[in-house]
Amino acid sequence: MWRYLFRRITLFVATSLVMIAVLFIATGLFPANKAYSLSGIQYPTALQQQQIELDYQLNDNALLQFTAYLRQRLSGNLGISSNSQQSVAGELASVLPASFELSLFSGFIAVFFGVPIGVIAALSRNKMLQHSILAFTLTGYSMPVFWLGLTLAMWLGVNLGWLPISGQINLLYEIEPVTGFMLVDTLLSESTYRIPAFHDALLHLILPAVTLAVLPFTLVVRITRQAMINVMNQTYIRAAEARGLHTFKILVRHALPNALIPVLKSIGLMLGSFASYGIVVEVIFSWPGVGSWLVSGIYQRDYTVIQAGILSVSLLIIFLSILIELLHTAINPMSRKELYASH
Amino acid sequence: MLVIVKRWYQLISLCITSLLLAACGQAQLPSGLVYCSEGNPESFNPQLVTSGTTIDATSHQIYSRLVNYSQAKAEIIPGLATQWQMSEDGLSYQFTLREHVSFHKTRRFTPSRDFNADDVLFSFNRIINPLHPYHLVSRTGYPFFQSIGFAELIESIEKVNDYQVIFHLTRKDASFLSNLATDFAVILSAEYGYQLLSEGKPEDIDFFAVGTGPFQLSQYVKNEYIRYKKHPVYWGPTVELDQLVFDITPRSTARIAKLITGDCSVSALPKAGELAVLNQHPDVIVDAKPGLNVSFWAFNTQKPPLNDVRVRRALAHAIDKQNILEAVYNDTAVEATGVLPPASWAYSKNLSPNDYNPQKAIELLKQAGVNQLSIDVWAMPVARIYNPSALKTAELIQADLARIGVKLNIISYDWSVFTQKLSASNYDSVLIGWNADNSDPDNFFTPLLSCAALESNNNRSRWCQKDFEHLLTQAQSVSSQPERKAFYQSAEAIISDQVPMVTLAHAKKVVLKKNNITAMQIRPYGGISFAKAIQTSEEGE
Repeated sequence: MWRYLFRRITLFVATSLVMIAVLFIATGLFPANKAYSLSGIQYPTALQQQQIELDYQLNDNALLQFTAYLRQRLSGNLGISSNSQQSVAGELASVLPASFELSLFSGFIAVFFGVPIGVIAALSRNKMLQHSILAFTLTGYSMPVFWLGLTLAMWLGVNLGWLPISGQINLLYEIEPVTGFMLVDTLLSESTYRIPAFHDALLHLILPAVTLAVLPFTLVVRITRQAMINVMNQTYIRAAEARGLHTFKILVRHALPNALIPVLKSIGLMLGSFASYGIVVEVIFSWPGVGSWLVSGIYQRDYTVIQAGILSVSLLIIFLSILIELLHTAINPMSRKELYASH
Repeated sequence: MLVIVKRWYQLISLCITSLLLAACGQAQLPSGLVYCSEGNPESFNPQLVTSGTTIDATSHQIYSRLVNYSQAKAEIIPGLATQWQMSEDGLSYQFTLREHVSFHKTRRFTPSRDFNADDVLFSFNRIINPLHPYHLVSRTGYPFFQSIGFAELIESIEKVNDYQVIFHLTRKDASFLSNLATDFAVILSAEYGYQLLSEGKPEDIDFFAVGTGPFQLSQYVKNEYIRYKKHPVYWGPTVELDQLVFDITPRSTARIAKLITGDCSVSALPKAGELAVLNQHPDVIVDAKPGLNVSFWAFNTQKPPLNDVRVRRALAHAIDKQNILEAVYNDTAVEATGVLPPASWAYSKNLSPNDYNPQKAIELLKQAGVNQLSIDVWAMPVARIYNPSALKTAELIQADLARIGVKLNIISYDWSVFTQKLSASNYDSVLIGWNADNSDPDNFFTPLLSCAALESNNNRSRWCQKDFEHLLTQAQSVSSQPERKAFYQSAEAIISDQVPMVTLAHAKKVVLKKNNITAMQIRPYGGISFAKAIQTSEEGE
């Protein structure tokens, strides 16, 4: 197991290195002065210029430049944003929690509703129900997220006026960022309008979260259903039934844990597309997260912001994929067996 | 088996109902108003800028001016100066200042004294005196004051005592008070200035602003919002709003959506084409007020064949302005017959407008002996308040001119290239416009059509006429409004006759607001003001 862990960590480091190297080469291709695209300072003073050259070793060969780049970026120096003149790391820290909040909430919706519906689809004897669930998930799966987001915004927001479709909270509530998670911050705030603020933040979260949840939800339903059908045909389930166990107990204790393992794996595989869907959703609903920050950085040719956005999103995806793989191995007896046998 | 399914159903339906309940409940909001603005301010000091976005965010919220202009009364009314007197020769103005006016108390600054003459001297000397410690703190200069030659106009500013100031001018200028009433002529705190100077952070004066206005700046997060708190001891009428928030929303559709869903109560600069969606929302009011602006088609009068006045008249008669009003402005503008908009006090009905008459146009062209005429028109690539789509306007004009046998080529560049190339002045004609900085009618003539404007390349018609110039100088030197009005009427007549430009439309200034916002007026020029806005409590769903 330790050996396996070590191998995974090496994999993480290696993949990240390759990713940063690609980013470094891409930075060199930006149509701008290299010192500018690395530091974000457009018109540096002589002193700043000297500092930039020293920091990024601009006068050395490419390899040394890359190690300098790596050192700067990993020590948290992401440069300054040429647009806002503020430290990119600080901006990143202020937008990341909003994105986490949105993705966690959507992930929660997807799993909370997806797993039971998947189970129902697998166990129901009613063909009609089965087919309609499958048809529904297939529709959701094939619906482009930008269309879905705009339609929901148009329908529930503009036409019916039920839900807010832009931003995180009504700005009249003055909420000091503590954790960066708006829902948590509203509850932590000392304002007398704590509860209405929480309520308002929740309302703002619904539409973007539902839009973003559709893709993982459909996947979770389909994979849970498939896995559940497989598991229910296993002999140990029949044995449990033969022993006269309660169906609920069989389901929760014996079938579901095994059925959820492939679900976990599929969530790991989905992270990349989930992140890009997240960016689209953030832009549609003006959600102040990494996605809309990155897109506005692209529009304004804010090179340091583009780099930081790509760096943080990709590092996160790499890290989470490997984490999920580790978890998968840790809880899945089958792959553990594989591990000892062949690796 | 069924039992489990049922349980899940119950759980899920419980969740959905709770979410729906959350959705339908009426949230309780703190007192205040959210305004969806269109962009980030460049600074928090209107002295340094001309951009409307910055003026909106600063001038009437954070600051006060010595005098203000009242649209309703069509006259200058007291601001921080309670009264003023012009000397007999018109060369000095004495102001009596308001007492017991306090500056904002912020985290960085606690005022130890009330507003007095030192603050007036500090604020204006910053602009005119290159030796003032803050003069060079501005990296952008003082564009409005430079454009009207303010530094040359003011000889000196004299402090008589703490509440008396005299402005000495080098020449008579009837628009002096109007210029003091513009959004740019705000009063800063001298005490704050010297405190920042001793702390070694002078540039903070323009970002962590302190003024005497109805709201004080509380927090600014770029690209997100600007938060203001009510100034507890504002000198003017009581401010009803406890807080004011500018929600920075660059996309026009997003601003409208936020207005509909209630995330903001007032919203800026809607696109004319998007107003239709508001018909199904009776709680949103489209507030359109006549604006002090004009969009026009300027002819390069120095370049043949447009140097021939008959050709210019022919073109003026060929254009169907009504058509342009409908298609380009969606009827959010009024037809222009002269340069001055109806909202200006000097406006009078143009007695000899060049009306739409293609037949006459053809005859005039025949007289001029011009056939097979082909001219270029430069159309600006961006939307401006006076013309939401110059390209569309150009296409309509193209169709009109085709009817009288004139070929029009539409040319457009990127905005920055466009303005650069305009200065090179080798165009035939250009579609552009003008948005007034102040209420003085001179603002529509001198910057646009005077010989001085020709020298500074702002005279798009490249036109300079002695009689016209004489009228403008005369109009500036008298101060009685009826007399000035007569001068401007004659000036309009010359423009109508000589046709250096065809004026097309005066766009209305449109602001969207919820119907629970009352008492907020929109002024025909300059920035928005929330000092008097009242938000009545939400009606139930």
